[in-house]
Amino acid sequence: MVREVTVRWGRGRLILTGLLFFVAVALIPLASALAVVAASKGMGEATREVFFNVASWARILVYGATGIILLVLSYGPASRVRLWLIGKGERRWDRPWERARFFLLYGIGQGRLPNDFYAGLMHLLIFWGWTFLFIGTLMLAFHDDIVEFLEGHVYLGYSLALDLAGIAAAVGLGMALYRRYVWKPPKLRLGSLWDDVALLWLMLAIVLTGFVIEGLRLGMTELQGATIDVGDGLVTDSDWAYWSPVGFLIGKAAVKAGASQGLMELLHRSLWWFHLAMATGWVAWVGYGKLSHLLLGSANIFFRRLSPTGAALAGTALAPITDFETAERLGAGYLRDFTWKQLMDLDVCVRCGRCEANCPAYNTGKELTPMGFLQEMKAYLTKMGPQLIKARRRGEETKEETPVAGGVVSFETIWDCVTCGACEYQCPFFIEHIPKLMDMRRYLVMEEARMPPTAQATLMQLEQRGHPWRGTQLTRTTWLEELKGEGIDVPLFDGKQEFLLWVGCTGALVERNVQVTKALVRLLKEAGVSFGVLGAEEGCSGDPARRLGNEYLFQLQAQQNIETFKAKGVTKVIASCPHCFNVMRHEYPQLGGRFQVFHHTQVLAQLVREGRLRLKGVSEVWAIPTTYHDPCYLARHNDVIGPPRELLVAAGVDLVEMGRCRKGTFCCGAGGGHMWVEESRGRRINHERTREAAATEARLIAVACPFCLQMLEEGAGSVKEAQEKGMAVLDVAELVEKSVVFSRLVPLERV
Amino acid sequence: MALHIICCVKQVPDPETPPSQFRVDEAQKRVIPAPGIAPVPSQFDPIGVEAALRIRDAVGDVKISVLSMGPESYRDAIKHCLAMGADEGYLIDDPELYNADHWVTAQVLAQAIKEKLSPFDLVITGRQAVDWDMGVVGPTIAEVLGLPCVTIVKSVAVSDGKIVAERVLLDGFETVEAPLPAVVTVSNELGEPRYPQLRQIMMAARKQVTIWKATDLGLDPSSLRNRVNIEALYVPQVKVETEFIEGDTVEEKVEKLLQRLREAKLI
Repeated sequence: MVREVTVRWGRGRLILTGLLFFVAVALIPLASALAVVAASKGMGEATREVFFNVASWARILVYGATGIILLVLSYGPASRVRLWLIGKGERRWDRPWERARFFLLYGIGQGRLPNDFYAGLMHLLIFWGWTFLFIGTLMLAFHDDIVEFLEGHVYLGYSLALDLAGIAAAVGLGMALYRRYVWKPPKLRLGSLWDDVALLWLMLAIVLTGFVIEGLRLGMTELQGATIDVGDGLVTDSDWAYWSPVGFLIGKAAVKAGASQGLMELLHRSLWWFHLAMATGWVAWVGYGKLSHLLLGSANIFFRRLSPTGAALAGTALAPITDFETAERLGAGYLRDFTWKQLMDLDVCVRCGRCEANCPAYNTGKELTPMGFLQEMKAYLTKMGPQLIKARRRGEETKEETPVAGGVVSFETIWDCVTCGACEYQCPFFIEHIPKLMDMRRYLVMEEARMPPTAQATLMQLEQRGHPWRGTQLTRTTWLEELKGEGIDVPLFDGKQEFLLWVGCTGALVERNVQVTKALVRLLKEAGVSFGVLGAEEGCSGDPARRLGNEYLFQLQAQQNIETFKAKGVTKVIASCPHCFNVMRHEYPQLGGRFQVFHHTQVLAQLVREGRLRLKGVSEVWAIPTTYHDPCYLARHNDVIGPPRELLVAAGVDLVEMGRCRKGTFCCGAGGGHMWVEESRGRRINHERTREAAATEARLIAVACPFCLQMLEEGAGSVKEAQEKGMAVLDVAELVEKSVVFSRLVPLERV
Repeated sequence: MALHIICCVKQVPDPETPPSQFRVDEAQKRVIPAPGIAPVPSQFDPIGVEAALRIRDAVGDVKISVLSMGPESYRDAIKHCLAMGADEGYLIDDPELYNADHWVTAQVLAQAIKEKLSPFDLVITGRQAVDWDMGVVGPTIAEVLGLPCVTIVKSVAVSDGKIVAERVLLDGFETVEAPLPAVVTVSNELGEPRYPQLRQIMMAARKQVTIWKATDLGLDPSSLRNRVNIEALYVPQVKVETEFIEGDTVEEKVEKLLQRLREAKLI
């Protein structure tokens, strides 16, 4: 029985956005190509004089100025590179082809921009408009000084393309100014007069003066009637003017207004110099401030962190500390403890605010703002950097006024992060926010032992008891004994089974999550999957320790697990916790543990696809409107988006998407060790998310992570909107269990 | 001259062991360690070390020695205290003393303090160990050494050869003074023990814990007799009786419930 399933937003929106962007990008070259085809009948001799109406020495001046401008431009980045080199070394130029591909996709292609549709479109118009105008200018130089090729229909196509590019840029700039002056979205709160507002006006002035100059030129030449000789043996034709539509309109207006040839000449000449001055000024500006993102942003995309395991974001797989015994400092406390790339990130940020607008901590009234802390660090680097370089040159010991961790960047900021990766996923330049914050946590924890009391209690608990669940009444084998009572025998893994089922501390030690573990085991048994568990030998995966800054404890725990896996011959692991899944998939290989790791939704989806789990025609959850909350570490960090949805569709529920879904999901508040850290500032993140779920038609919230389950269940019990609807929270495995035909009787004590 | 503080610590079965895992050997009259659950430092003892470290933070020149008595596994508790910032660790590991009661324990610890760790200025213990909860070893050490003893304190400061300590009372606090040397037992009101810095953990891992036998302290174990002997050890049976009050309406149920509560003389 197949049923129409409503998937609102989600994929449809993505495709639509992608299409619109494709159209926008393709518009300019497409229009020019069309123009060339259209112009290809008898306009053979169409062209123009390049340095029309200006002194002949202007040519020498322009080329001379270019050299100076390039010098001024390059001083900007050069002065910043010196500052970055205060940081430690880091290799960021391996795998150049992969880097080049990323650059094409996200630099030239601006692949991250559609995440914010208006700003993305605006930027795209400015970018492509400007790029075409720039290329057009270069083509003109080439035409004038090397080979004359802008003739006939090529010239006319060229004219039209540049006019279109100018329109695109002007529209984009208009959108930007509207956004700055009228709309004023909160994420632009760090805008500055020079970098943001003045720059926009300058660029708009360049485009508009360009159009007026063009119009005046046409007014003096092509629009003066049929074929006239303009000197140098060049002739013009009034029919050509249509190929510069904006210039045509302006020229026509000037002629209509009765502007004399002399007036137009004077205006044209003075505007031409003004335009030249502004344009060269703009080029020099590229080395400084926000505009330097043309160079630095591009470089930053090229230098992004590439994970050997294909981790999606820099925060997905944190870099290991390998020199515990000899390191000057553990983690990053001062400027020179960061790597050059981490300092480079600071200069790349253009304060677009995408990170902040999507940050669960910032949006629930906490101190952390990803954009804000980068800016604070940048200001400190600018102030302190030159002194440090001077001191280093003199061979003196470099002393920094204040530590970065806990000083420049506040203690609260560092501890507010839930490592959900929203900031990194949004950043157009692949700035790596999470590793910086985590390095600072490492410094605070391992060097200074400064952390929130609840984080400290969690780390002590992990050290002493090997799991984070203080006061649990269960042991790691309680659920095994209970299942035995149901007649289900789960073997201990001894190398004979295909999979190791990694239960996780939460799946074994917290009553509610044990129910998910049992549901999963019943399903795996039903499908005849060969698997075993470690039972009492299982330990913590190490994720909480690592994300709470105790790298040493993480490595001890991870190494212990890797040794156990190797000793028992484990090759394939099923994890039901996305945090365990992530740490085993991307971070264990750093310590030599390479295993195939699956999330339980991936395995279950495969079993359904293969028909090893048979589904009921109509189940008890049939057609219940259900929304799926993507766990950050599953969707955003690991790109597991389809399988849980496949399972929900198979279970027969009516899938309704929340606004923030898939890779754009909003954290439940428990990532980065925050499951056990008291949320003492601002509003509760899980309540925010529950409210979002309650705002859909959904009556059920499906999750695929033990922490999300606890957080949203708490939310469903406390948030009024959810209480009124009587919302329930279930793991995807539990929903599937309700919809599967079991070949033998399994007591299902729960409804 | 440096102040010398001796902190007495103990390792206990994890008090957070799930009740289902807690078993006693009634014949042997001892607790059977729960499988797979590691022992932990007794909750109040690292707080004693924290108190010593705070004195060091305040006055500077302080040497902190950690002293324990028990089997090899107690070394972990000592290491934890060393990682917190204590200087030296000592363990009296003598199988003949494994079944010592508070009296013998206090005798042996006092002997070690007198013979091996003198001169000293202050002995700090937890208010009680969280396994047997007797809370007498600290005061008994003071008794054996003939020193003043201040129990259950939430803060302790040293100045001019005396201590000023705040004691926790049922209805408030009491500030007392005592001349050094003295014995102090600390309570959780003092605050959380500090989290060890990683460098100190690594340093502590390299530090040697000095091991003594009773004879090293000039004691003959056979002459030490327990004064408290366990008669019987068992897990108490908890009986819960539940009675459901039946009735057709809520009012009727409430009526019956009130009646039952009155019968039971609960209201």
